[in-house]
Amino acid sequence: MFRLLEESGFTRVRSAVVPGFRFRQASTQNSAEAFGVKAVMMTAAKADDA
Amino acid sequence: MTDAIEAQESLEGVLKDEIIRMYQEVADNPSGEFHFFHGREAAEQFGYDEEWLSRAPSGAVDSFAGVGNPHERSELQPGETVLDLGSGAGLDAIISSWRVGSTGKVVGVDLNPSMCLKAQAHAAETGSVMECHEGRMEEIPVPDESVDVVISNGVINLSFRKRKVVEELFRVLKPGGRISITDIVCAKQLSQSIVNDPKLWAS
Repeated sequence: MFRLLEESGFTRVRSAVVPGFRFRQASTQNSAEAFGVKAVMMTAAKADDA
Repeated sequence: MTDAIEAQESLEGVLKDEIIRMYQEVADNPSGEFHFFHGREAAEQFGYDEEWLSRAPSGAVDSFAGVGNPHERSELQPGETVLDLGSGAGLDAIISSWRVGSTGKVVGVDLNPSMCLKAQAHAAETGSVMECHEGRMEEIPVPDESVDVVISNGVINLSFRKRKVVEELFRVLKPGGRISITDIVCAKQLSQSIVNDPKLWAS
């Protein structure tokens, strides 16, 4: 997503992991961790002259 | 049309149905158990202001199915126009409407027309006005350069065509506009068996 935002013309792309995000069931959470699944916050801007 | 494109479109159609089914179920049966945290419990986990959650209609809070808090960094200002992509039962749109005030405007877009009606009803309960349009995030039914801020919460990951979604975000934003989204990302390539299973993808 980060790369897609930059490639689409967005500037000031920032991301951070959402603290505390997890799945309810342990088995789902374990699978998610195995795939590197996480929740992130992303912000980006469209330049004034875009 | 090639077989690959036909297969992709067919899969997208099935996925659309599964997404509508899953999130409709959260809205219709908020006391049910899902594999993700939802409702007030999830909103509190992500740091939603207690005052917001007390003030919002219980139907909007109980059906909340976000994965974070896009308001934390949205820096909404009075008078701004906000697009909530995947507005669901309307909690994030309602909070946005409070922040942009009566001089601002909130537009929701959701795949499910009945969720649009529900979100608008929830907004009306708080005295807020919210437009909501049925539509796909790959073809956002909003004019070019018409919004100041796009927020979205746990929705873009559901699309097979994320590049198209991001291009649409760019299109609808005014110059100088911004996005504040929370979503799920995956560090590893998902297996084809997961990609081809709408239930797993929607999950």
